[in-house]
Amino acid sequence: MAMRQTPLTCSGHTRPVVDLAFSGVTPYGYFLISACKDGKPMLRQGDTGDWIGTFLGHKGAVWGATLNTDATKAATAAADFTAKVWDAVSGDELITLAHKHIVKSVDFTQDSNYLLTGGQDKLLRIYDLSKPEAEPDVVSGHTSGIKKALWSSDDKQILSADDKTVRLWDRSTMTEVKALNVAMSVSSMEYVPEGQILVITYGKTIAFHSAETLEQIKSFEAPATINSASLHPAKECLVAGGEDFKLYKYDYNTGEELESYKGHFGPIHCVRFSPDGELYASGSEDGTLRLWQTTVGKTYGLWKCVVPEEENAEAAKARTTLPGTAEEEIEDLASENSDSVYSSTPEVKA
Amino acid sequence: MLVPVGVLRLPRGPEGSSRGFNPNSPRFQALLGELMTVQGVRANLRQRYLQVLGAARGHPTRFYLRAGVQVDAVFSAADVDAVAFQVDGLRTPLGVQAAALLRYTDVLAYTFPLE
Repeated sequence: MAMRQTPLTCSGHTRPVVDLAFSGVTPYGYFLISACKDGKPMLRQGDTGDWIGTFLGHKGAVWGATLNTDATKAATAAADFTAKVWDAVSGDELITLAHKHIVKSVDFTQDSNYLLTGGQDKLLRIYDLSKPEAEPDVVSGHTSGIKKALWSSDDKQILSADDKTVRLWDRSTMTEVKALNVAMSVSSMEYVPEGQILVITYGKTIAFHSAETLEQIKSFEAPATINSASLHPAKECLVAGGEDFKLYKYDYNTGEELESYKGHFGPIHCVRFSPDGELYASGSEDGTLRLWQTTVGKTYGLWKCVVPEEENAEAAKARTTLPGTAEEEIEDLASENSDSVYSSTPEVKA
Repeated sequence: MLVPVGVLRLPRGPEGSSRGFNPNSPRFQALLGELMTVQGVRANLRQRYLQVLGAARGHPTRFYLRAGVQVDAVFSAADVDAVAFQVDGLRTPLGVQAAALLRYTDVLAYTFPLE
């Protein structure tokens, strides 16, 4: 029985969603934070998309957002020249870190004790969160605004991307180890610790590099300009989205395009796999987040796999309606959820 | 024909103008619940006060007493029953007292620099 993907739409933001991040798996599930140009980042339950709370305090567009591994802290980077650290359980603002220009990226170390920031002032800053008033360690070298900065190699190194380069820094010496020149403007970067893989997107290219040497492992070309890509935790597949509003899923080993989905009403700015790989989330210019199943038809989160024959039999016992009704009810739920009629059926390649 | 995957319900969205972070959620209760009880708040305040006393020690302090009287001294200690502050080098119009006790009930406020 061929199933059609039913994305779950998370509404609430009023402007484009530009960044999103998942936490690790905690005893309470995993969580998702979204950065939005409306200045109000939101925390959601990761497997259902249910809204938990909104972090209020920024006075400008929020460009970057992240959660620590156990989702007890959140950090955000904004156009109001500040990065903020939040208590992700109570929603309270804990620390405000003033910068000299728009901040674009924030990342916690694994122990949540240090915060890395990067932005338009071309400097990387490392803050000791136990001493937030102290001056941060500053790493300079970028010649254009930093778009993304990430800890790597067990927090011993830093990966940062600006318009034309990706650089690797050693944390203890605060010096550049390696630099990679990129043909076009880097649109996104993701670090995968297991296997030390760096995922970079630029133009229509999705490239995979070694996080230790910055050498390219492989790359794929998409049909349209890609803004973000994410590698599945088991490294079987990857997802990417960009300017044609579509989401693409590729086989990581062969590069074959497996699935593609329409659904968003605007360019996709960010896409990330959940920590268990069962779903991926996309954020778009249309102000929504959508959750997509990795294995379409699997019962997980809010998705429920219903086999029509079994449903018909139960429906006949439970209700006095005709057997065909059950399928229509599922259809109604799907269309109600999708906000729109699919203009064409999503292409699914077996 | 492709059958769309069924969903139990839609993801819940924001609630009106609330900022969320429901204090009754299991996660909030488990991680912060204790802090929110009266006992938790009082324990927090006690701890903060003790930290203030520790931070004041050795610092030049200005005490604001009744009837507009202000005296300067070096903060030394406070007793457990909240009866008196012990200070060193208390400057009075009659001279400097090497060691003195100021009654809690006489002190309206005191300030000291953090550095």
